[in-house]
Amino acid sequence: MIAPRGNGRPVISFQKVWKTYPNGTDALRDICLTVPDGDFLFLVGASGAGKSSLVRLLIREEKPTRGRLLVQGQDLGSMRRRQLPYFRRRVGLVFQDFRLLPRMTVHENVAFALQTLGESRRTIAYEADTALETVGLAGMARNYPTELSGGEQQRVAIARALVHRPRLVIADEPTGNLDPETAWDITQILSRINADGVTVVMATHNREIVDAMRRRVVALERGQITRDHSYGTYDEILPASALRVH
Amino acid sequence: MKFFRRALYAFTSAWQNFWRNLAVSVAAVVSIALILVLAGISLVLGHALGQVLDTYQQRVSVLTISVADDTPLATVYDFEDQLRARPDVVSVRFISKDEELRNFSSDPRNQQLIQQIEGNPLPAKIEVRVAHLDDVKRIDALARQWRGADRNDPTDYRGDFIANMLRLSTWLTIAGLGLLAVLTVVSVVIVMNTIRTAVYHRRQEIELMKLVGATEWFVRGPFVVEGVMTGAIAASLAVGLLLAAYRPFVERFQSELFFLPLSYDPRFVPVLAQDLLLAGAALGAVGGYVSVRRFVRL
Repeated sequence: MIAPRGNGRPVISFQKVWKTYPNGTDALRDICLTVPDGDFLFLVGASGAGKSSLVRLLIREEKPTRGRLLVQGQDLGSMRRRQLPYFRRRVGLVFQDFRLLPRMTVHENVAFALQTLGESRRTIAYEADTALETVGLAGMARNYPTELSGGEQQRVAIARALVHRPRLVIADEPTGNLDPETAWDITQILSRINADGVTVVMATHNREIVDAMRRRVVALERGQITRDHSYGTYDEILPASALRVH
Repeated sequence: MKFFRRALYAFTSAWQNFWRNLAVSVAAVVSIALILVLAGISLVLGHALGQVLDTYQQRVSVLTISVADDTPLATVYDFEDQLRARPDVVSVRFISKDEELRNFSSDPRNQQLIQQIEGNPLPAKIEVRVAHLDDVKRIDALARQWRGADRNDPTDYRGDFIANMLRLSTWLTIAGLGLLAVLTVVSVVIVMNTIRTAVYHRRQEIELMKLVGATEWFVRGPFVVEGVMTGAIAASLAVGLLLAAYRPFVERFQSELFFLPLSYDPRFVPVLAQDLLLAGAALGAVGGYVSVRRFVRL
């Protein structure tokens, strides 16, 4: 068991949240979920269960239809558009398809996030180098994304998510396009980041990783939370003896 | 400091983008330059026509009131004071009978006539200059009611001519504004298409910018700057072409195109250059702003 390093205050709080799309589909139904600071949470569920909708709400790509969603103390439902950039600067995002810019080098891809914030050249260079070191890619700063493997590209994406030192990282299927070994490496990187006190929410389909990590698991089914276990597995609670050791 | 860094980013990014999509950028510059040349030509013609109209307007905005011979001077002075007190009157000048005769005699065309007349049959006059052309009618009505005015020929008011002048002036203004509006819309559409191409090429970057916390203006800035850059380069090209051709064209075609009020006015050159440069930059800015709006909305 790895104890959370955060202060334990809620970073994310879903309070009876519903998300209904214009065609009448309820993507999320009556979600109540609290994620304390420093937590590592797996969000699991079949395709269409509502994971992506929940992630889209968390990064405020969409608003809840009903209920209240607080992230880092801010009510995302009533947040004004002009406040949104400042909110997103406090959240690190990692996606399944990496979303790297092919015409930029690895260093430029990571630096890009800080450039957007108008940081000085010196700060950008220092923070980008530090973030690349954290994910073990310091030696590939001058390479282009197309010259990297899928796992390396995802590590660049994680470095970009970390470069502005967020307190919350949201990873949407970060291992979805990776082989099992690389997927495990990526999860370990996220685990190390979490050990430094950063809250991590990871939506995944990867049964092996969820079962091996034995972290908090929230399962979604047809838009509803069906399970929320502190040291859970992908399908059900396994006995501690079933824990896989890597 | 952050503002300057962001501004620098916007300029650098716009400059890179301009060169990266050079073919599209050049096509936009040439198209907008041609439109601005058309706008420039219409401005030059408008200016020349305006000068002609101004000359006529200055001429007809002076109303001459003939004073009856038996009118006491005190009555004339009273009427002059009454006119001067009006806000629509710019100046009032009294021309005595003697002065009027001198003016008449000094015209060589009247030499034969002057030998045939005895005494001074010419009336004294009051010359009234009004502020606006449409004020002339009111002063004329006032003069006709004045008891000191010559009963047979009280004023030299040319109502129809003035009405035609006013109508022509209004129509020319409307036509000019209509032409400029069409040219403006066409320019904005061209800039929008150019910037949209750039936006399409960089849509992934824009999406990422939004996700990592860029403000709308940070995302939009480079595209607006690129629009301004495209418009300003096009305007410079148009100004260069117009300035090179203005004088030679007027000198070559002034007599042949007699129906157009062509004239070269060196004082109008800096005004033309300034107007076109500002118009180019403004059109570019509007085109850039509008084209990227949908993509940057958070």
